[in-house]
Amino acid sequence: MDLRFTEGHERFRAELRSWLRTHLKRPWIEELRDPANDEDRLFEIRRAWQRQLNEAGYLGMDWPREWGGRGATAVEKAIFTEETYRADAPPIPNVLGISLLGPALIHHGSEEQRRRFIPKMLSAEEIWCQGFSEPDAGSDLAALRTRAEADGENFRLTGQKVWTTFGPWSDWIFVLARTDMGDRYGGITFFLVPLEQPGVEVRGIKQISGESEFGEVFFDGALAKREHVVGKLGEGWRIAMTVLSYERGAMSLAYPAQYDGFLEDLIQGCRENGTLSRPDVREKLGRLLVENEVLRSNGMRNLAMISSGKAPGPEASIEKIGWSEYAKRLSDAALDLLGLQAQLKVRSPHARREMDWAYEALWCRAGTIYAGSSEIQRNILARRVLKLPAA
Amino acid sequence: MQFELDEDRALLKSSTRELLEKEAPVTTTRPIMETSPEGFSRSLYAQLAELGYLGLLLDDAAGGSGMGPIGLAAVLHEMGRVALPGPYLELVLSIETLRMAGGDVAQRWLRDAIAGEKIVLPAARESLSGVEPATLATRFEGGRVRGLKTFVAHGAAADGLIVTTAQGFVLVERPASGWSATPLETLDHAQRFVEIALDAPGTLLADGQKACEIAGAVGRLAAFGAAAFLLGLEERCLELTVDYLQERKAFGVPIGSFQALQHRAADMLLRVESSRATVYRAAWALEQDPGQAPLLVAAAKAYCADSARLVCGETIQLFGGVGYTWEYDPHIYFKRVKTLEQLHGSSREQLEQALRAVGV
Repeated sequence: MDLRFTEGHERFRAELRSWLRTHLKRPWIEELRDPANDEDRLFEIRRAWQRQLNEAGYLGMDWPREWGGRGATAVEKAIFTEETYRADAPPIPNVLGISLLGPALIHHGSEEQRRRFIPKMLSAEEIWCQGFSEPDAGSDLAALRTRAEADGENFRLTGQKVWTTFGPWSDWIFVLARTDMGDRYGGITFFLVPLEQPGVEVRGIKQISGESEFGEVFFDGALAKREHVVGKLGEGWRIAMTVLSYERGAMSLAYPAQYDGFLEDLIQGCRENGTLSRPDVREKLGRLLVENEVLRSNGMRNLAMISSGKAPGPEASIEKIGWSEYAKRLSDAALDLLGLQAQLKVRSPHARREMDWAYEALWCRAGTIYAGSSEIQRNILARRVLKLPAA
Repeated sequence: MQFELDEDRALLKSSTRELLEKEAPVTTTRPIMETSPEGFSRSLYAQLAELGYLGLLLDDAAGGSGMGPIGLAAVLHEMGRVALPGPYLELVLSIETLRMAGGDVAQRWLRDAIAGEKIVLPAARESLSGVEPATLATRFEGGRVRGLKTFVAHGAAADGLIVTTAQGFVLVERPASGWSATPLETLDHAQRFVEIALDAPGTLLADGQKACEIAGAVGRLAAFGAAAFLLGLEERCLELTVDYLQERKAFGVPIGSFQALQHRAADMLLRVESSRATVYRAAWALEQDPGQAPLLVAAAKAYCADSARLVCGETIQLFGGVGYTWEYDPHIYFKRVKTLEQLHGSSREQLEQALRAVGV
């Protein structure tokens, strides 16, 4: 066993911290609080922040050198997300492009595609959204029905994608669509499609938080060029599944670090409202503190397995259920222990300065649904790890 | 970064499993549970002593094997898997107390304890409420210990006790008189707790600042050891459950094909794997990152107690009616979980420790 970070990793962390101190002018919560920042303005702040990170070489760190990489390890990537979460930096807009499409292009794309798309994706000059889920293909993604029909050497797309994060602000979408209606997995192809064209309509979906960060995208004969197919026809499913695995470990340290901050505010709030010495309050706080250490333990184990080159185990599903279910317990407890103050939105008078519980209490409800719901993760654990028989 | 055990301790873990599966499977627990007055196998404990299990934490020069807290976690994890009855953890705690105390008397008892020639056990508790009084009623005055200690594990078999008193740690050798042990009947038939009334001569091992240091370190080791044992208990219960879900048929299919049961098994897996990560991270902290140890040990004990209760309770439920019979094994595990939840620092105490460790 060795759970130490190497000297190189510690040096990386120290440099990153000092870079963040110099470059991060305001934590994200301050931007959210500023009444001058409407949704579009907030998006531009995120875009500008991504550009700064890219110029400093912090994006695509584990990619080949010519595409912005610097030979970074999984541990350094995890440290990067941990420190940016801890510093409450603005979330970058091309997060899905960089984590999913980038690796897809590097491993399966053509040289021309890489040259054309990667630099502008990293610099946030072009924003990407992800077109995987459909109204009838969520947990059962392979049930997707968006069709790509041949039109000369190109294709025409017809269908609907949903839950496209940042859809309303995006320039391009990477899409899984059917080139063969008969072959469940082998009939799916990976396309890159510009949103600014006839036959594409993007609508925002108003979420329970009142924002429209997600959208839906309708294709009605939209053009998808042959040169914008990633990999070969029918390879889309395989590509999508392999790129999902490249993100293993990236969030392993980030959530516990973020929850450290949440817990700190909750404890401070109990100190302020005079309940911190009550045994029932201490028991709740103690349990939340302990459970966050359990998350960090799982994360460190996961990261250690990845960095010592071990095959993926049950860790990813355990980690996903772990952080997403914990987030709900944490904000439920905060809204209980902090009382009405925790209901106040960030710009309201009397709202807490460091933490937007009113938003978190709603947003945490999405975490157990997206990226493989808790129920899907339990299926994975039961079938693939415990080898329980299919129904 | 590396999560897996190094070669020495991986070997220790696998040879412990081999030994216990051969010498102490759960089938051997049943006669101990039902008929043995002492509640453990003297011959197995002699074998453990001979193989060096009692000196695991001591270095070579002191007659130990220097396997450290990670090695101890590996051993207790395996012992939990067979729900090994007897005072192994308590012996390790006494030995650690004697080592830290130092001095001639402690040294002599330490040698004998490691060799398995003397059974020396801690007698610390005074309260049945789960929370110890701020000032202990047991006193050491004029060379004599007077007081009442409760829930002394396997105390009837002890050659000596390390008694926690208001004046510090005192060693009491079993005298001909002035030591009266009353058996306590608990829900776990496999364990033998006694209440001991003492009015006997003793030797002061440590007092003042040193006694506080020992109490802190040994208390932490106790909580940590219990967490590792709980990990073993819940890990084995999960295996028993998964086997049963695959074998047992209802409505013409294995019951493990029902999603309602699959999801419960998945939650058990999540608990077991999270316990594993937390116990071994705490072990790592005890060895290499002592500043983190108070928080991580408290986290391990509190989390493993909650998890093992859930997992072993679910085992009884998913076995159905036979899970409530004496004949099937789940109850043996469940009962051990119940006592370990309370012993060595209850969850309530550990949660408080965790908060204090971060200055809250």
